[in-house]
Amino acid sequence: MEKIIEFKNVSKTYDSGTHALNNASISIEKGEFVFIVGASGAGKSTFLKLIMHEETPSRGTILVNGVNVTKIKRRKVPYLRRNMGIVFQDFRLIDKMTVYDNVAFAMRAIGARPSAVKKRVPYILDLVGLSDKAKNRPSELSGGEQQRVSLARALVNNPSIIIADEPTGNIDPEMSFEIIELLSKINDQGTTILVVTHEHDLVRHFNKRVVVIEKGRVVSDTNDDGESVPYQLTDYSDIDSSDVPPQTAEKISRQVAQEFSEIVAENSEEGQPYGGSNAEVSSDIEG
Amino acid sequence: MRISGFSYLIKEGLKNVWNNRIMSIASVCVLISCLILTGSAVLFSMNVSQLVESVSDSNETTVYLENGLSKVEAVYVGRDLKKIKNIADAQYFPKEEAFEEFKGRLGEELFENMKGDNPLPDAYKVTMTDLSKYNETVDKIKALDGVQKISSRKELAQRLSSINSLVQTLSFWIVLALGIISLFIISNTIRATMYSRRFEISIMKSVGATDAFVRIPFVVEGVTIGLIASVISTVALVFLYDGIMSIVSSLIHIEVMPIMSVIWYVALIFVLAGVVIGALSGFISIRKYLKKEGNEILGW
Repeated sequence: MEKIIEFKNVSKTYDSGTHALNNASISIEKGEFVFIVGASGAGKSTFLKLIMHEETPSRGTILVNGVNVTKIKRRKVPYLRRNMGIVFQDFRLIDKMTVYDNVAFAMRAIGARPSAVKKRVPYILDLVGLSDKAKNRPSELSGGEQQRVSLARALVNNPSIIIADEPTGNIDPEMSFEIIELLSKINDQGTTILVVTHEHDLVRHFNKRVVVIEKGRVVSDTNDDGESVPYQLTDYSDIDSSDVPPQTAEKISRQVAQEFSEIVAENSEEGQPYGGSNAEVSSDIEG
Repeated sequence: MRISGFSYLIKEGLKNVWNNRIMSIASVCVLISCLILTGSAVLFSMNVSQLVESVSDSNETTVYLENGLSKVEAVYVGRDLKKIKNIADAQYFPKEEAFEEFKGRLGEELFENMKGDNPLPDAYKVTMTDLSKYNETVDKIKALDGVQKISSRKELAQRLSSINSLVQTLSFWIVLALGIISLFIISNTIRATMYSRRFEISIMKSVGATDAFVRIPFVVEGVTIGLIASVISTVALVFLYDGIMSIVSSLIHIEVMPIMSVIWYVALIFVLAGVVIGALSGFISIRKYLKKEGNEILGW
């Protein structure tokens, strides 16, 4: 399979001294659907910014579509971004424009012909199921609908990658499932999808590749075993418990314990006795 | 870039002017006052120049020759005069001609008793290339043999030309200062537009709009402000000039330059200045935003 995104030993240290990414290597193939999970501040946003060339790495190489974007010229960056459609947590819709114009805006901004806009926008709105809301303002729509507009805008220029940064962060759970289902449908057409999220329910529900980033490192990748395995527990083994404030540690341990019991329950239903190393992780944190 | 893309960007620029109309009107007003002040300074200077020219043209220095000089000697004096560097022309003006001119000006009757006696000397009418070197040139003329005396309106001409050079220097600095002020104010207006559209800018950048595409609407905004201001300034200056000059010419009897003779020239300069200042403001203001990425544009 052709690689669409490749990080080779990428580190990013901000001017403030924050190490956002630490020697991270990851490769995503064309047509994959990948969840990127991790606590806030783990480096997920930096990961996305590096792909979009909003930031440049301090060390390492990033290839997008086989092009080394760390060495790309400034004036080439817009053309790199035309390969990507971005979906934001806060939708980023322009409220003084109608739904139609919000989507058309992305096409006009890259100099599309008016005739192409007229043809493409209704098609995309139909795809996300918003044809009847074309003349509405974004503020008249529900959160889920707004996110679908945002998704339509990301799709309209026919990108090869969709990058969704916490796309379900501002909408209710049912809508969240719908959005991911929609993304999954788009993925079936061959578009690579990257979804950053911290909603474990979603990740567990959709059987996709999961990459866990903690403290700027890729600590777990379901693809590492060579085949896609269901998402299991977040690997917190990298965390030195002495670094973690007591409250956070308590939260993490509670979360881990809950996830653990859920997975045990799921596995025992399927008649597979569960006995993993994760039990030890949980006790590690508590200790 | 395709025409369709370009016309979209121009429309966006015009929308910017309208959506941000209070600031746009303020900018137009400031630019108008700058252009009118600049234009007034230039017109004033042109008038003074014209005055200096008419004074030095119509009142050439008259060099009177000594009485009793023969015609041949007069020709020699003329040749010597023409050899002096600063003298553009020396026209022989024989006493007979001077007498006729005198008679014509004062009336034949006065001279009836003179019975052909002509008390006037022969003369040369001399024009100089550079009036500021008047004194040196006069000294050189006086040193010539056969020259009796020199008369002219030198003081007036000299004073006028020194006023003119003062006005020119002054207007240069006024133009420069006002140009910078306009630039500053229009960039602030555009920056306000940009702030209100930062959201759109961030989206444009995220979908892969080129710098030119992000920039053009703001340059169009600046150019529009410049164009509006320059047209209004031209019209206003015509009325202002006519008004002031009719007052001035009723007070002192001087020939003022008619505005219509230079109006197209003024209009062209105004439009050029407006467009350049406007476009430059757009360019300067957007630079900061073009360098930013993602949330930086939104100030998060």
